[in-house]
Amino acid sequence: MHLSDRITGGFLVLLGALAFWGGSRLPAVPGQDVGPAVFPMVVGGGLALCGALIVLGIGHSFEDEETEPVEAHEGLARWLGAWRALAAFVPPALLLFYVLASEALGFLPTAFVMVAVAALSLGASPRLALAMAVAAPPVVHLVFYKLLRVPLPAGILPAPW
Amino acid sequence: MTAFLEAMRLVAAPDVLIAIMASAVYGLVVGSLPGLSATMATALLVPVTFYLSPIAAVATIITASAMAIFSGDIPGALMRIPGTPASAAYTDEAYAMTRKGQAELALGAGLWFSAIGGIVGTLSLVLMAPALAEMALSFSTFEYFWLAFLGLMCATLVARSSPIKAIAAMLLGLLFACIGIENPGGVPRFTLGITDLLGGIEPIPALVGVFAVSEVMRAMTTPEPPPLPRRRFGSILAGQWALTKKYQWPMWRGNIVGIIIGVLPGAGADMAAWVSYATAKRFSKEPEKFGTGHPEGLVEAGASNNASLASGWVPSLLFGIPGDTITAIAIGVLYMKGLNPGPTLFTERASSMYALYIIFVLANIIMIPLGIVMIRAASLVLRAPRSAVMPVIVLLCAVGAFATGNNLFSVLLVGLFGIVGFVMERNGYPVAALVLGIVMGTMVEQNFVTSLIKSDGDVLPFFERPVSSVLAAMTIAALLWPAAVWAIRRLRPAEAAR
Amino acid sequence: MIQFTRRGALAAGALAGIAPLARPALGQGRYPSRPVTVICPWGAGGGTDATARIVANLLEKELGQPFNVVNRTGGSGVVGHSAIAQAAPDGHTIGMLTVEIAMMHWQGLTELKPTSYTPLALMNEDPPGVQVNVNSPYRDIKSLADAIKASPAGRFKASGTGQGGIWHLALAGWLLAMGLRADHVRWVPSNGAAPAMQDLAAGGVDLVTCSVPEARAIIEAGRARSLAVMAAQRNPQFPDVPTLKESLGIDYNTGAWRGMAGPANLPPEIARTLTTALQKVYDGREYKEFMASRGFGVVWADAAGFAAFMERSDASLGAAMRAAGLART
Repeated sequence: MHLSDRITGGFLVLLGALAFWGGSRLPAVPGQDVGPAVFPMVVGGGLALCGALIVLGIGHSFEDEETEPVEAHEGLARWLGAWRALAAFVPPALLLFYVLASEALGFLPTAFVMVAVAALSLGASPRLALAMAVAAPPVVHLVFYKLLRVPLPAGILPAPW
Repeated sequence: MTAFLEAMRLVAAPDVLIAIMASAVYGLVVGSLPGLSATMATALLVPVTFYLSPIAAVATIITASAMAIFSGDIPGALMRIPGTPASAAYTDEAYAMTRKGQAELALGAGLWFSAIGGIVGTLSLVLMAPALAEMALSFSTFEYFWLAFLGLMCATLVARSSPIKAIAAMLLGLLFACIGIENPGGVPRFTLGITDLLGGIEPIPALVGVFAVSEVMRAMTTPEPPPLPRRRFGSILAGQWALTKKYQWPMWRGNIVGIIIGVLPGAGADMAAWVSYATAKRFSKEPEKFGTGHPEGLVEAGASNNASLASGWVPSLLFGIPGDTITAIAIGVLYMKGLNPGPTLFTERASSMYALYIIFVLANIIMIPLGIVMIRAASLVLRAPRSAVMPVIVLLCAVGAFATGNNLFSVLLVGLFGIVGFVMERNGYPVAALVLGIVMGTMVEQNFVTSLIKSDGDVLPFFERPVSSVLAAMTIAALLWPAAVWAIRRLRPAEAAR
Repeated sequence: MIQFTRRGALAAGALAGIAPLARPALGQGRYPSRPVTVICPWGAGGGTDATARIVANLLEKELGQPFNVVNRTGGSGVVGHSAIAQAAPDGHTIGMLTVEIAMMHWQGLTELKPTSYTPLALMNEDPPGVQVNVNSPYRDIKSLADAIKASPAGRFKASGTGQGGIWHLALAGWLLAMGLRADHVRWVPSNGAAPAMQDLAAGGVDLVTCSVPEARAIIEAGRARSLAVMAAQRNPQFPDVPTLKESLGIDYNTGAWRGMAGPANLPPEIARTLTTALQKVYDGREYKEFMASRGFGVVWADAAGFAAFMERSDASLGAAMRAAGLART
């Protein structure tokens, strides 16, 4: 996911310009001269300026020397081979899974799947992954549901407490 | 004196002592879980306080919030995942110390200087409450605007990267803060027609996403780091006395800055930590060591965020104006328990006030032994294999985000911010600056726009009021400083060539 | 008070592994058969939160199941109000409606309006007051009103809540009733009553039109004065503050109200159970004492009364917002 300063800076110029444009189209508030448009326009303008400076390479001398991190050869990363960078997207995908599944499945089964998949992707042995997936969700549920009174969904497997 | 003895009796009641102990453990646990802030720890206590005596009720809030702010440092130091926004400013520093094998020094500094900050903050509450309250009431939106602007400037000082990229990350945070309806015009902005976005982007899901989720994402693609040398976790307090003597001046500066920021309504522990970490670096004799595992910033910022916690009670107790989100909740409890805020609380209910002071000091003292136990327990995760710890972090991210608003949308946001943080980190954009922008965004805009409304669009009043002119001068000096440094750097080699 | 020990001990000891005693009943029986969620559309620590929590606690005693208050904040109340409307209509999710539900749809912020819910009971109403800095030259509402009339538009600055919020509308309505334009006094949006009162004390604005209980601590600290309330009667908690009618002869009153409701199509027998329990809560000593301690006004209306009340409130607020130029529809 390492991109050149040209690309990230260019993206910021684009985003800043979009924010400026989007801000300028916000409706004025009746009875006020200064409305909701001012702040996004100031911020958008500043962002576009910073992006332009980054594209030009100003301030690059302050940065630490870039070291390309060693790539993983465990779990999912090994299995994916040349596509191993994709393994990084497992955590966001698991959070998406939680959003979609927790209401229907309930907290305990959803959490079981999340912990098991994450552990296996990180190269845990199946025994460790299973142990974690069985042990961790009930503890988390107990703390959040009883102590913090967070209404976690019961779903198909309600907790015994 | 009789009032003081009466206060001792009030605090020594068994229900109060039990409440302090129980809420101390509770605060330590909640603060150390990523995604659960000190504010949430307090909010969740409110239903419990319904059933407690007035002193016990307030004691739970004081104790739990102090513990939570400290224990937010623990996951930050051990796993680079700050437990509360107040820890985000110096998370990288503490984690760097852990990687150098100085976890106990980093966490011990967090604990020791948190306790000192809490106690000094309490003394300020006891000795100078009326004077501090007077100062708080002299702040209008003009002063707050400059204060918030100064806070934003800290982004460039904290980051160990290109200042331009730090400012860009901070502005990106401000842009995220624009989303939603919580703006002075009450107009939905950048919501893309999504109802959940009307509420805007809360700092907690963003914090959890850019720090915790992106950390797990990195773990997925990098090999397990070489395990830290297997050795007994050394004494946690050893070395703190040496640090106290060596960094006496930063410690006092942290205490004072924390007290001042805490007293001002609307600016709390988060901002205190940022400003103090930045001043520590600015005035340090060895600023180049910052970011590589150097305790000086931890000393100052750790003292500062806990000092702000105590002084935040000043405007709450005297005027019913919350100093931060924690005291906003506490005020509700005070009213509920018949301890109505106001000057009469100090005169007519002096014994209750003394009792509050005693509880503050007590909470900061028991923080030390309880904190040591907590650190020892938490340090076990350093020995556990990464493939066992990280999956639990993902689960905690999901549940913690859900708990902030009992809303699945926050869980989605955490995932998205994970990707944002991951990409930013790989390309040299400091994620801490992004969090600063999101935390401060509403305050900056609110005070900027309302000040313009009050002055009928004129910028002169921003410089006219006495306090605001001083703050404006400080801001402009801070703005010009890096430019001057840059110019000098450019000129020097040119001279040498000549 | 037996409940308290159990809950207190639970909260304290759950980590230590003390087994929780309350087990949700699985069988479908008499309502409520499992814990009920009470959605509060505003943040912890505020007036709505406090009211929701005391009501929930007392309901728990009446109906024997936990009533858990959940803060669904954001979007100036839109998010929480949507959550109440979208909940399953089985009585296990109810919520506290606030006056904003009769305002937001006029501003085009949401489709939801009072008729999107099954009303259960009206519990509270607080009228706005008029507060000035203690050093202000205006000793009574008459001299302030005269000064406002004599000044050019936009000279006076007022605050109290966000743009288009209930206290903004109160100011606009008062100005209209005096024969002035609704924006004759410039509105400075704030994040609620507490920051506005602080700005008043710091000399940033000229007047604040929040409710008197919200201004109470600053008034008692001797930093502000309350000149009038926009209500039909004086507040018994603040007997020295006159009404607009007795001081200016203007019969204008409005207020921020709070009531309990469930999603639309709540089964009638469940709604009846809840309304009956709410009536017992309202008539009880604990509720009255709590509300008096905060200075909050108490008003009761049953389900039908609350529906009629919201309809009136919706119509009058809509008219006021159009007159003030705040409505978008």
